[in-house]
Amino acid sequence: MFSSGEARCAPRYNGYSLTTSPRLELRRVSKTYPGNGQPLQVLHEISLEVPAGAVTALLGRSGCGKTTLLNLAGAMDFPSSGEVLIDGRATSSLNDADLTLLRRRRIGFVFQFFQLLPTLTVLENVELPLLLAAARGAREAALDRLRWVGLEEKAAVLPYQLSGGQMQRVAIARALVHSPDILIADEPTGNLDTASGDQVLALIRQAAARFGAAVLMATHSAEAAAIAALRVRLRDGRIESLERS
Amino acid sequence: MTSARLLGSLILRPLRRDRLRSGLTLLSVALGVAVVVAIDLAGEAATGSFRSSLRTLVGSTDLEITANGGMDETWIARLAALPFNARFAPVLETQAEIPGAGAFPLYGVDTLAGARPPAALPAGIDPDRALFVSQPLAARLSLHPSASLTLLLNDRPQTFQVAAVLPAEAEAEYLVLDVAAAQKALNAYGKLDRIDVYVSPREDFARVEQAIRGLLPPGYLIERPGARSQENQRMLRAFRWNLRVLSYISLVVGAFLIYNTIAVSVVRRRAEIGILRALGATRAGVFWLFLGEALMFGLLGSLAGVALGRFLASSIVGLIASTVNSLYASSRPAPISLGPAEILAGVVAGALVAFLSAFAPALEAMRVPPTEAMSRGAHEHHARLHWRRGLLWAALLAALALAASRARPVAGNPLGGYTAALLAIGAAALAAPALVLLVNRLTRAAARRLFGPEGLLAGRSLAASLSRTSVVAAALATAVAMMASVGIMVGSFRETVLVWLDTQLRADLYLRPAGRTTAGQFPALSAELQPVVAAVPGVEAVDVFHGLEFLYQGDRVALGGGILEIVRRYGRLRFLPGEDRDAILRSLPGQDRCIVSEPFANRHGVRPGARLALPLGGRVVPVTVAGVYYEYSSSQGYIVLDRSTLLKYLPRQPPTNLAVYLRPGADRRSVRREIERRVAGYRVVVAPNQALRQNAMAIFDRTFAITWALEGVAIIVAMLGAANSLLALVLDRRRELALLRYLGASAPQVRRMVLLEAGFVGLLGNTLGLALGAVLSLLLIFVVNKQSFGWTIQFHPPVGLLSAALLLVWGATVLAGLYPARVAARLNPSEVIHEE
Ligand SMILES: Nc1ncnc2c1ncn2[C@@H]1O[C@H](COP(=O)(O)OP(=O)(O)O)[C@@H](O)[C@H]1O
Ligand SMILES: [Mg+2]
Repeated sequence: MFSSGEARCAPRYNGYSLTTSPRLELRRVSKTYPGNGQPLQVLHEISLEVPAGAVTALLGRSGCGKTTLLNLAGAMDFPSSGEVLIDGRATSSLNDADLTLLRRRRIGFVFQFFQLLPTLTVLENVELPLLLAAARGAREAALDRLRWVGLEEKAAVLPYQLSGGQMQRVAIARALVHSPDILIADEPTGNLDTASGDQVLALIRQAAARFGAAVLMATHSAEAAAIAALRVRLRDGRIESLERS
Repeated sequence: MTSARLLGSLILRPLRRDRLRSGLTLLSVALGVAVVVAIDLAGEAATGSFRSSLRTLVGSTDLEITANGGMDETWIARLAALPFNARFAPVLETQAEIPGAGAFPLYGVDTLAGARPPAALPAGIDPDRALFVSQPLAARLSLHPSASLTLLLNDRPQTFQVAAVLPAEAEAEYLVLDVAAAQKALNAYGKLDRIDVYVSPREDFARVEQAIRGLLPPGYLIERPGARSQENQRMLRAFRWNLRVLSYISLVVGAFLIYNTIAVSVVRRRAEIGILRALGATRAGVFWLFLGEALMFGLLGSLAGVALGRFLASSIVGLIASTVNSLYASSRPAPISLGPAEILAGVVAGALVAFLSAFAPALEAMRVPPTEAMSRGAHEHHARLHWRRGLLWAALLAALALAASRARPVAGNPLGGYTAALLAIGAAALAAPALVLLVNRLTRAAARRLFGPEGLLAGRSLAASLSRTSVVAAALATAVAMMASVGIMVGSFRETVLVWLDTQLRADLYLRPAGRTTAGQFPALSAELQPVVAAVPGVEAVDVFHGLEFLYQGDRVALGGGILEIVRRYGRLRFLPGEDRDAILRSLPGQDRCIVSEPFANRHGVRPGARLALPLGGRVVPVTVAGVYYEYSSSQGYIVLDRSTLLKYLPRQPPTNLAVYLRPGADRRSVRREIERRVAGYRVVVAPNQALRQNAMAIFDRTFAITWALEGVAIIVAMLGAANSLLALVLDRRRELALLRYLGASAPQVRRMVLLEAGFVGLLGNTLGLALGAVLSLLLIFVVNKQSFGWTIQFHPPVGLLSAALLLVWGATVLAGLYPARVAARLNPSEVIHEE
């Protein structure tokens, strides 16, 4: 597996070589939304290092700021204060083109709902990140990931013909098609039955253990939390507890 | 839940949220209605003012006696001798040009016998020079009694003295002379144009009318007043119908857009509808909910449209009036009147269009089951399966269109042609989904190769929202088709006219009285001019032409008399296929034979060999049609006699034009200068062939200017629709677009994707529009125009112009995608995902 991807796994973002700084780090990150009338502070001075090659679980009630934190970590949004550092470089200092490049090369996303583009086939969905990045070998890489998630035979099918668990597996294949070294997953099992959920979790664990990605996953479920090496419990935008296993 | 509350929460709130899209829909309805209202108001104003301004001067007459070529004034005395209590008033009517101010009606009436102008002239004014001026005209030219004023009458300037200013209603601008003075000034001694009859209310009207008819020769016409105005209206009917139908185009395009808006709103709210139904809303309730939305667009849009239309009308009335003047008859634009009836008509039109176009989507909404939770993907998948059915219906409509195009005109209206056009548009709209899929499939590989993942995504998303893409493409196609068809028609017509002018205008120089040229007006040339011109060195032949307005079976046509031997020798008049030009023209001189123009032949169902009963002067003369020739200047038609025949029956008919043929090798410019020198005492225009052609083409282009303007509006409405729909597509796919950004799409990539969709929709609209346009142009040329105006247009599509226009429309569609593309590129992905 990952035959073609493995070689590209080494950090290579914009010429940055592997440094001593952690791959993904949050330093005193706060986030405030303007809200209507009264600004709403969602995150309060969060500091966190996300280790590579392991799953970090983000736990906490709905509304405590998990998704917000994931968006900051994935450079889809920027902190109101503090810094999100990827390879020691603050995401807020990057321009739009650099951010796009960063996403194309280093980051993969998995969501709870609405994963796949309904008009593209399964294979095309998985290929898409590579196509958007104009990378070569998209088809082979996509087939490779599909094989890995066990859905190679569904390659030509449209998403609405898949079950929820299958969709999520396709989404994971897609999130990893460009061999990112950071995987952001927002409640990936939130919408699945136990059996499908377990399959998805196994894949996520592999992404970290076998392929060395730094996985940051928000979740509600105990099963999901169980695969994590680091469990971060959030409460009202603050870290309540940090727990290693 | 009451439906008013439902409407509030389910319809109004989303509309308020989508302010821009609602605004665009309203704007397109408003534009459509505005164009219809403007054309109607301006058409009415430009053609509705034939009512003689004399009416206001002398009160209303009971009968009018007229004759082709005028009548002898001695009839007044004979009529007056009839044992009835009736008054007979002589009238001369012509057009006088006031240099620098324009042309105005000039009436010669009996100022001494009961008419309102004061009977006693102010001291010191020569009765032959005494001119009465209507108050509005006097005010405009600041004329006061005893001021002197020079008028151009026929080919002579003559000076008169203002004797009095006549009170008249606003904007009634005219001049009055005593009938004797008018006869003298016009060199028409003893001649009248009309006798007005006033019958005492105590007399038996029918008996008086009968007695008058019994006394007068058969060639004289006795009409109720207003008949003339009705003739004019009838004559203009085809012209106005054509304009009106053109103005409906924008409304049809608007209908597509309302359909689109409502259909989008149904698709978007299927889940909501399902919930409502589960909560107990009835099917009828849901149906009326969505019709209510459409009616709201219709009503608000048309109210705005009526106001806008009123405004537009004043800017186009001049254009329409000038067309009417150069093609039909002299009229001056009446004030535009927007009454309650017109407002109501506009609003009803808008509401009706809204109702009809929302009917299908509202039905679909009604059928949403309470359990509805289908995703759009599945729903659209459903629509995709129906393209075959659409194609079948399209074929059926096309067959019906073909049948309708064969129908005969109804009361001179090419109803079959219009129906066929409408059916063809329907067929194109129904065929659109199949075409979208086909073009999509054909261009898929190329799009991907050329535009990469953006091409792939754009193509897929358009095919996925097939029903919506098809509606936008069909709306655009309709507008493009109208543009293309009218372009082809006008281009072909123009080419036909150019070729025809070449055969028609063979003389080197033409003489006519100076002053404005207007259809239905035939100012006379002085008889002594012909020998003067013929004697100029270098002149080989002079054709003398007499034109006069002529009533034939209640139709206003033009009667002409020329020296047909000269026409035969030098001219190149073209007759319908199979007719021998030389033999025909040889057969006319000295005989009661005529040639008629193609429109006349078609209007009256006349073929060579037919006999026409022509009322000439007092007599009704049977004249044999020797041939039918091509003619494009008058849809009313021409009857042409040899000059000898005309003068046999109307001996005092003055010439109106001279056509001068030069000797080979003669210098045209020096001959022209010499002629001008010798006729210097007359106000005539000596125009070279070239100038007449240019003038004819200028009139032609002016006539179709309004057509182009209407096309433009239809295109703009279609553009608004394209922008509107693309915006809807973008807003509906916010989540997809956000997801793309998460997957590494850059903002420029997203923008490019939306622009590609715009380009694809434009391509589809153009392709379908061009095909439909070609069909419509055939209908316009060979059915509508033929039946309305009676002439044969040769098919000459203006390829260059057409390609340029299509390219422009395509560019504009892409431009219309710019705003939606910007919206798409600027979406904040994390915010969109948060909305979930
Ligand atoms: N874009 C936004 N604008 C305003 N408020 C937001 C936005 N995104 C999240 N919030 C608010 O921030 C809080 C945390 O939300 P979120 O991070 O989605 O929590 P979680 O994922 O843990 O359920 C919520 O109260 C939410 O309403
Ligand atoms: Mg969340």
